[in-house]
Amino acid sequence: MSPVFKFFASLRLTVVLLALSIVLVFFGTLDQVHYGIWHTQKLYFQSFLVVWAYPEQFPLYDKLFWFHLPMPGGYLLGGLLMANLVTAHFVRFKLTAKKSGIFMIHFGLILLLISELLTNLLSQESQMPVDEGGRANYSNAFRSNELVFIDRSHPEHDTVHSIPAGLLRPGERIDVPDTPLSIRTVRYFPNSNVGRAQAPVANNLADSGSAVTMNIVATPAEKTFAENEINTATAYVEVSGPDGVLGTWLVSNVLDERFPVQEVSYDDRAWEIALRFTRIYYPFEIELIEFSHDRYPGTDIPYNFSSQVRIHHQNPAKNQQALIYMNHPLRYEGLTFYQASFANQDTTSIFQVVRNPGWILPYISVLLMGLGMCVQFGMHFIKFLKKKKTSA
Amino acid sequence: MKKVIYILVAIFVLLIFSRQYAPTTNEEGFDITAFSELPVQDGGRIKPLDSVARNTLLVLSARQKVETPDGRWLQPIEWLMDLTMRPEVADTYRVFKIEFPDELGLAGLAEPGQRYYSFNDLQPHFSTLLELYSKVDPEPQRRSAYDRQIVKINDSLMRYHRVMHSLHPIGSGERLDRLVDEYQSFQATVGPGMDALRRQQAGDDYDANVLRRFISFGDDYLKLSQTAHMRVIPPPPPVDPMADWQNVGEALLDVMQGKSLNPFVTSYASLTMAYRAGDSESFNRTVRELQQSFEADFPASIENRVYFERVFNSLQPFGVAMQLYVLIFVLVCISWLRWPEALNKSAFWLLVLTFIIHTFGLVARMYIQERYFVFVTNLYSSAIFVGWGATLLGVIIEKFFKNGLGAAMASVVGFCTLIVAHHLAMSGDTLELMRAVLDSNFWLATHVTVITLGYSAVFLAGALAILFAVLGVFGRRLNHKMVRSLSGMVYGIICFGTLFSLVGTILGGIWADQSWGRFWGWDPKENGALMIVMMGAIYLHARWGGICGERGLMALAICGNIITAWSWFGTNLLGVGLHSYGFTEGGFYWLSVFVISQLVFIGLVLLPWRYWRSDFGREKHLKDRKRILMAAPREEV
Repeated sequence: MSPVFKFFASLRLTVVLLALSIVLVFFGTLDQVHYGIWHTQKLYFQSFLVVWAYPEQFPLYDKLFWFHLPMPGGYLLGGLLMANLVTAHFVRFKLTAKKSGIFMIHFGLILLLISELLTNLLSQESQMPVDEGGRANYSNAFRSNELVFIDRSHPEHDTVHSIPAGLLRPGERIDVPDTPLSIRTVRYFPNSNVGRAQAPVANNLADSGSAVTMNIVATPAEKTFAENEINTATAYVEVSGPDGVLGTWLVSNVLDERFPVQEVSYDDRAWEIALRFTRIYYPFEIELIEFSHDRYPGTDIPYNFSSQVRIHHQNPAKNQQALIYMNHPLRYEGLTFYQASFANQDTTSIFQVVRNPGWILPYISVLLMGLGMCVQFGMHFIKFLKKKKTSA
Repeated sequence: MKKVIYILVAIFVLLIFSRQYAPTTNEEGFDITAFSELPVQDGGRIKPLDSVARNTLLVLSARQKVETPDGRWLQPIEWLMDLTMRPEVADTYRVFKIEFPDELGLAGLAEPGQRYYSFNDLQPHFSTLLELYSKVDPEPQRRSAYDRQIVKINDSLMRYHRVMHSLHPIGSGERLDRLVDEYQSFQATVGPGMDALRRQQAGDDYDANVLRRFISFGDDYLKLSQTAHMRVIPPPPPVDPMADWQNVGEALLDVMQGKSLNPFVTSYASLTMAYRAGDSESFNRTVRELQQSFEADFPASIENRVYFERVFNSLQPFGVAMQLYVLIFVLVCISWLRWPEALNKSAFWLLVLTFIIHTFGLVARMYIQERYFVFVTNLYSSAIFVGWGATLLGVIIEKFFKNGLGAAMASVVGFCTLIVAHHLAMSGDTLELMRAVLDSNFWLATHVTVITLGYSAVFLAGALAILFAVLGVFGRRLNHKMVRSLSGMVYGIICFGTLFSLVGTILGGIWADQSWGRFWGWDPKENGALMIVMMGAIYLHARWGGICGERGLMALAICGNIITAWSWFGTNLLGVGLHSYGFTEGGFYWLSVFVISQLVFIGLVLLPWRYWRSDFGREKHLKDRKRILMAAPREEV
């Protein structure tokens, strides 16, 4: 057997990798205090290498500020553990009744690692606010933005041309599909402070829209990763028609429905232009019939949140009613709707909408692992009992 | 000899029980028990006054008794009676616990060696306290120890004030002696007062005196409704268990809206007058009337719960269990020196008895909370349950191994976790209600229970590993047989612990998937559980692969203690994530102490064999030397 195989199949490697995983998870927990869960997750568990720096908030920072601890990230450790497990099975294990428990545990573990990877790559989370008595057919993904051109000329529907904010790199020219327009990003801030100046702004990058009429200015800000904060993405976008530049607009995801619409017009056609949280549209509408928020008697401690909803699908055969409440989500059309939050004095309900094609995998894998452990330890226990009996 | 030992043990147990349940009498003949059973709605649930008295005292003074200036000890309910009905006397009781009174900077407050102060002691310093309080950082996490103490004193004073105003308005002794008259004249004023108000607003002639009296009543009771802590006035029948109760102030204000005065209000007033006058007969009669009207209006299930909670409070099963755990540990320790058989047997049966008492406490809490099979609802109950799980495992391994080791360590874990629980109880009602997301009996009964049993197992295994280190390094008696059984126990329990941690973590994942749409979110508590599972996996792989020797495996088991403590408490200290309920002040200090102590034990177990005093260690040392000696000449060849 080649030494490489031997190395990858060794139990020693397993133990070392597991120990490193504990270290990684520990620091990945500590750093959540500063970076929030979402960013820490990216930093530690969805990476190959991570460096922990001694936090400013800790005692003795002025003496230990230089301390940095590099460690393998989640992808690297996960990958190595997987390789270790798979080689070990090829090299050492034979599938026998006695080893069946271990096989189940290990297979379940492989499945779990795969499912976690799939979730990282494929799952999509967004939020859908619905007012009582109102309907919604889209949800917002608060961690990504899109630049949209909306053509409202058709009486029955709007046409939305969307450009993901990731493509808004300064200087690059992008044609807006199915329109005569093209754009060039002048500046793009992933997070910014947007405000109104008292007087017209000097050296304004924008020459059209609200930036001019309302004296709006944007200054870049550091990206935030906090759990309950939102990045204010802002862009200065130059829009051109076939005959040349039409103007430069300032668009930002804080300039939402509360602000006047900004419009680009060319050749007696007009498009609304906006930067907004990426919207995911659905072929159905969710109507919120009633939201209720119960409290424990004599206190303000919440006891239950629930939303009575009716779904209107384009295909009426799929219409249905549902009650969404704590621990009881609605699974519908490959999506899952959770009662996440509420607003506007209990008249708006906010659902978390999750699309996770691999959601069933962890269930299978954990079933395997649990069963495997029971089999494995059960056999050990029986052996132990027998030994006790013979020795007694 | 055996019989003598059994009798001696039995006497000790009886001593513990008699000390706990010594009957207390009230010379003046007030039916305190009946009073303590009166219902009140507090923190969203209906409980006896007794519980409010105890929880308030725990928050103020971190204990459930009060010393009067003349050196008598009062039960919590007696203190509550004085607080609400004879405030002028209660103000002299030392109920405010101040950890470091001389560091407060309140000139003239601190008395040497005294950590308890009365309301009257603190009163001269109110303005200074308020000034200090206004300077405290509003962000709790950034407060210094000094700031926290200032905040604690302020909060305590506020709570004291609010609980005091629970049963009726507070004023001079004269006012309290005439409460019923006050209510009568208030009722008599309402009609003419409203009339005068209407006339005033219409611009007509009105009686200014009547209006002034009416308004001053209104102001006073409005203030009372904002101050009174307890909701003692149940809604009128038919009763909805989810309906809001009223506090006295609210019930009095209702009269101004044309409702008749709730009889509970008058009854509490007569109670107070009777108590102040020393008239036990009418006091007891009024208490009985209150009880009867509660019984008439409410379903039996609620009454029984309230009455049972009072009994449960007085039984203090966890306090008794704590003392029994100490006794068990002492018995086993003596058994290693003399009379092993008889003492081991008594220790085992005592462990069973303690387990039953511990179980009774758990089941009683479930009954009161109306949540069967939900063992853990907050940090406090998790501590209780970890101890229970460890005791259960201890009973099981003792059944198999019969050498006292399991009983000794189970009692240590049981005792320590109950101590932890005792300190966690200082924050108030331990039977508090659960936040909406957590409120799911099925998941609480499965995920939380299983994962907490995992904690029990890891702690018990870690305790056994510590025993191995201590006995091996310092003692002489540790031999091969004991080591074999110890390592067998540790192995078995870690198997159990890993299985439970894994299954618990998985169930948590499923719960998370059901409620937030993700199986795994790298939340601190989830991560903690994952770390325990990985620790178990490391131990098992190291053992199966023969990677570590005896000492290495034991060191790993002690590591399990650190990781479990982190997962249990450390993650709550971070104050982030979905599970960060119950932020424990001062927890960081104790967690650090625990971790350092465990590191010391790890160092101990990893000491080279030549420092071991036990037979087992010395044999190992000899073997090592022999191997070196045998290897050495060969190298020379």
